[in-house]
Amino acid sequence: MAASSETDRLLIQRIRGGDSDAWGDLISKYEGRLLAFVESRLTNRAASEDIVQEAFIGFLNSLPNFDGRRSLESYLFSICAYKLTDHLRREGRRPSIPLSASSDSSGQWQLPGNARAASSIARSGERRQLEENSIVEALQDQVTRWRERGDWTKLKCTELLFVRGWANKDVATKLDITEQQVANFKFDFIARMRTIIRRLGLSEEVFPEIYEE
Amino acid sequence: MSRLQTDSELEAYLDEALTPGEMSEIESAMRDEPEVAQRLMAIISRRDAGMHTVGEIWRRHRVSCPTRAQLGSHLLNAASKEEVDYIKFHLEEVGCRLCAANLKDLERQQAETEATVATRREKYFQSSAGYLGSDNKE
Repeated sequence: MAASSETDRLLIQRIRGGDSDAWGDLISKYEGRLLAFVESRLTNRAASEDIVQEAFIGFLNSLPNFDGRRSLESYLFSICAYKLTDHLRREGRRPSIPLSASSDSSGQWQLPGNARAASSIARSGERRQLEENSIVEALQDQVTRWRERGDWTKLKCTELLFVRGWANKDVATKLDITEQQVANFKFDFIARMRTIIRRLGLSEEVFPEIYEE
Repeated sequence: MSRLQTDSELEAYLDEALTPGEMSEIESAMRDEPEVAQRLMAIISRRDAGMHTVGEIWRRHRVSCPTRAQLGSHLLNAASKEEVDYIKFHLEEVGCRLCAANLKDLERQQAETEATVATRREKYFQSSAGYLGSDNKE
């Protein structure tokens, strides 16, 4: 999906200028999908509408910080998800995750096979964004190439492996291919990611799954 | 005991990105199995430390999501066989909640009355327009 359409950029520009018609246009364009997103979890129309309403207000409040290059739709969905999570917590449906560190070391994330603590390589938000954007671009190129070539199985396989985190054998069963084929697709994809990370001079340490043996 | 969720699924849970059924399943597991909460904490710690995962980036930037136009074509039975097959996979196997919401919205547009939609939009507008920037307010 495109990051942000020209139509949305212009809409945002007008809203930033206080144009109420533009604001009405944004509401009309996005409210239906946001409501469907919230309602799928709440199954209560009135409460769902309240959350969408809060999300729109939240959007206007956060507008000065909104990066216009970002997808407006994804941004609105993320605000809605935040408001929905908050609502579910208040209702007691979504358990809180304790923020204090567990005394059990298994609760702490560590670089695999590396004694260095994750916190020791913490770095600036800008750097993280740059790393993320570079990977997004590489992923988008790859997905476009698969689509153009009709390599749908590779796309599905990679999505199940990395987005769902499934094991090779489960992916093989689902897609009706061999485990060896899954392993080959995975190997090729990881090799490509490593090449990109090296070419862009990004730190290997912050992409642990790509360097897991 | 529920099935063991993958780390990628737990990451998606934190972003409210799984299907409603899967979200409820994890919420239930969190109550019954302390290790699920511990794994979620580990993911949060890893995020705080600035680590990336491909799945997280892929999902957040919707790298393989069909466009709304493609979803619309799917509804109208105007998409190619390959596209239909992939869209179904993306919705049913990947469980993309945002694409499901878009599809639901497109379906509803054919069913809801104009008056219902207009009333709802007006409510959103009236409750939020006061937060618009004041420089050039019309």
